[in-house]
Amino acid sequence: MSTRIGTSCALACVTLCAVAPAAAQRTTTTPPGDRPLGNTAVVATSGPLEAVVPPPARLVAITNATIMTASHGTIPKGTIIIRDGKIAAVGADVQVPAGAQIIDGAGKYVTPGIIDAHSHSASETINEGTNSVVAEVRMADVLRQDAAALYRELAGGVTTLNILHGSANTIGGQNVVAKIRWGLPADSLLFAGAPPGIKFALGENVRRTNSPPPPGGARRYPFTRMGVEETLRDAFTRAQEYRREWQAYDVARRRAAKGVQPVPPRRDLQLDALVEVLEGKRLVHCHSYRADEILMMLRVAKDFGFRVATFQHVLEGYKVADELAAAGSGASTFADSWAYKWEAWDAIPQNAALMAERGVLVTINSDSDERARRLYQEAAKAMHYGGVSEDEALKMITLNAALQLGIDKQVGSVDVGKDADLAIFNGHPFAPASRVEMTLVDGRTFFDRRTAPTLESVMEQLNTRRPRTPVVP
Amino acid sequence: MTSGLSAIIVLTAATQMLGAQEVRSAAGPPSAERRAPSAERRAPSAVYIIRNATVVPVVGARIANGSVVIRAGKIEAVGANITAPQDATVIDGTGLFIYPGFIDSGTQLGLVEISSVPGPTDLEELGDFNPHDVALTAVNAHSELIPVARIAGITSAITSPNGGLVSGQAALIDLAGWTGDEMAVRARVGMVMNYPRVGGGGGRGRGGGGPPGEGDATDRQARALARYLADARAYADMRGRLGAGAANAAGAAAATGTAGTARPKTNLQMEAMIPVIRGEMPAIFDVESAAQIRGVLALADSFKLKVILRGASEAWMLADTLAARKIPVIVGPTTETPGTNDAYDAVYANPGVLARAGVAIAFRTNSASDTRNLPYNAALATAYGLDPDEALRALTINPARIWGVADRYGSLEPGKVANLFVATGDPLDVRTTVRHLFIRGELVPATDRHSKLYERFRGRPKGGK
Repeated sequence: MSTRIGTSCALACVTLCAVAPAAAQRTTTTPPGDRPLGNTAVVATSGPLEAVVPPPARLVAITNATIMTASHGTIPKGTIIIRDGKIAAVGADVQVPAGAQIIDGAGKYVTPGIIDAHSHSASETINEGTNSVVAEVRMADVLRQDAAALYRELAGGVTTLNILHGSANTIGGQNVVAKIRWGLPADSLLFAGAPPGIKFALGENVRRTNSPPPPGGARRYPFTRMGVEETLRDAFTRAQEYRREWQAYDVARRRAAKGVQPVPPRRDLQLDALVEVLEGKRLVHCHSYRADEILMMLRVAKDFGFRVATFQHVLEGYKVADELAAAGSGASTFADSWAYKWEAWDAIPQNAALMAERGVLVTINSDSDERARRLYQEAAKAMHYGGVSEDEALKMITLNAALQLGIDKQVGSVDVGKDADLAIFNGHPFAPASRVEMTLVDGRTFFDRRTAPTLESVMEQLNTRRPRTPVVP
Repeated sequence: MTSGLSAIIVLTAATQMLGAQEVRSAAGPPSAERRAPSAERRAPSAVYIIRNATVVPVVGARIANGSVVIRAGKIEAVGANITAPQDATVIDGTGLFIYPGFIDSGTQLGLVEISSVPGPTDLEELGDFNPHDVALTAVNAHSELIPVARIAGITSAITSPNGGLVSGQAALIDLAGWTGDEMAVRARVGMVMNYPRVGGGGGRGRGGGGPPGEGDATDRQARALARYLADARAYADMRGRLGAGAANAAGAAAATGTAGTARPKTNLQMEAMIPVIRGEMPAIFDVESAAQIRGVLALADSFKLKVILRGASEAWMLADTLAARKIPVIVGPTTETPGTNDAYDAVYANPGVLARAGVAIAFRTNSASDTRNLPYNAALATAYGLDPDEALRALTINPARIWGVADRYGSLEPGKVANLFVATGDPLDVRTTVRHLFIRGELVPATDRHSKLYERFRGRPKGGK
């Protein structure tokens, strides 16, 4: 097992040691918990890992700010009290307790920390491209804490990422939900308590019709959307039978005479993850473009009795919005990125608005280290194209993403009891000249433009040219 | 106004559109003939007045409760106290804002439809040197991407080929017209060139990170480019000495040189380089790093090139030099990731640094499908130090000057081409909507592929199965 730890830091060993004994005592037929790291739920309860995350800020007050809560409207001149990393109070008439560290929010806008529902940041690699079903591979094994993208995303107000595998495979691997605790060891990125998930993908990328095979190599199955469906059905049929083997084993073990132990089935790490999907314990995030493949995925999920938590990109989701809503599947999309391949030819910027109008839970994601830096402007495009309200647009990069990822009890809005993950802007986040001034995770400041290495500060250090007008304090 | 008079006005305008270099280049490529203005072009004849709006002329102060009158494709009047002409269609601009149309100074509009599909993609010719390739030749006037590009107030764009060391000639086009020729504002507005990537450090456009020996390859490319320019200079000199600058290919074949030697054959590539080497046609250099920019400046010195830089994400390092040498910089897209070792806001802040140093800047999206995001590219720069008024100029009058059409484009002034739009607010604000858009005085419908699909599926009966 130690080889599976791979690129993770030394602290992983601590986790392994701490978790393995508990795992050995498990008797359940579904064995998700006994692989450290991949299952974030395990992280939440494992003592040693808690030490990785430094203690949250004790007592902080953000005063006189315009607070866009994402859950209960905008407070024009409000105060947020942060105690032990959680939001302790928020409102217009909140007393600042003695001894609080004050952040003057006059003229500033505060939003919940932005949640990017589709990211590939901090990952060493994103596709195990040799097979089309690789449910066993885990993003947690290849996380890097030193990715510059993480800092730059903080500088764009992002605090939480859904880090997914790429789209080369029908079933691409297990995701990680991360908080951007920039500068701390990789394992401290893990979002404690976030439900585990898995990346699926459909369409051109999976068929790999756009990429020629290696010299002398063969095409890889599947090569059509028909083959993608059969690949899914084959995988889940195998998972069903695997689960039956374990169920039979459990029954046999219970009925066995004292001192007699039946032989357990062979452990299959790939099917373990798919059994968790069948049992609703692992959220499916499915890369998709065209309406037909979305409907196919919904049929397969229905036949095997699970829900697709989110369709990712889902560029033609607007064509089948009712079906998405009826299935209870969320949609995570973006306004641009159209016309770069056939399956993106019918993408429209009104997609988010139209799906929302039909009752789909919608988020705006980045799928890009670059777009992630300006998701607050991307959300505003849902207002421009299709006319969603300001509140709804903000939710699309905050609360809705928390709901899709099952972390809405902890993050996604400015509400008492939630983690103090906040972005502070110098103006309205949807206004053209606004930028992020400060980003907090668990009440701790992880980005502060006043001390950040900006281009202006670099120029002063290089002394190539004194800026004639200082840009900002 | 009679239709005959309209036709004359159109002809005059079209003749103006053919700048000196276009006329001269008629000697070269055989296709030049068909660039001639067509008398059959549909004459814009409609008269409009947009009233009670805030007019933002860009050149000059804002006008509250102002009006703009459009007649025969031109702006006839701009001001606060204007009586509506009797024949005008009236557009109520109450609460709205009128801006000159935006110009995207670097796109591939018309040259690509779906970038991963080879069929409709005409961006990059084979070989390193294609100065005789003309973007306008391949512009598909009916690209679905063109109406999409207009949606945020973009009325004109540079469209250019890419690839190799000399990619070909860019065109300045208006984003409406039945043919590419009709769309052309300047058919041959500049020669697109790529300075080889030099230096190390990794990151976008900075070279390095390649296999061993790549440095040698870039050196070779830089030498090849310099040699090509030297050849072009020699060719132009020879043409000058022979007094055959205006000779066409047929004439050249018949003529003989001095001293009885056979006259050299016409080289269409070299012919295309003559205006560049004479400093009459700008060399548009796509660069990113400071090292590349220094390389371009050295070439400009050696060959007396008229240079426009494009991309130039590290131009901030040389802002004062570029300002002193009056070299314009086409910045953007600002929706790029900074280099590995760059400041987090380097891409956003670069335009502001350049503008404050006195460099003439204009924005580009370097895209075809994302051209509609041009104003938001500028908006990102305003969040990081670029003055909002300067950002507006960098979308209008600055590019009009850089591309040599400021007498007709880039501001709301009487006599200029009526490329303008009416918006609900600041066009750099994503939440703003463009209500009306005019190109050459014609009201262009605000429908595109996206709005049609949206309306169609919005009408899908509820409760799909």
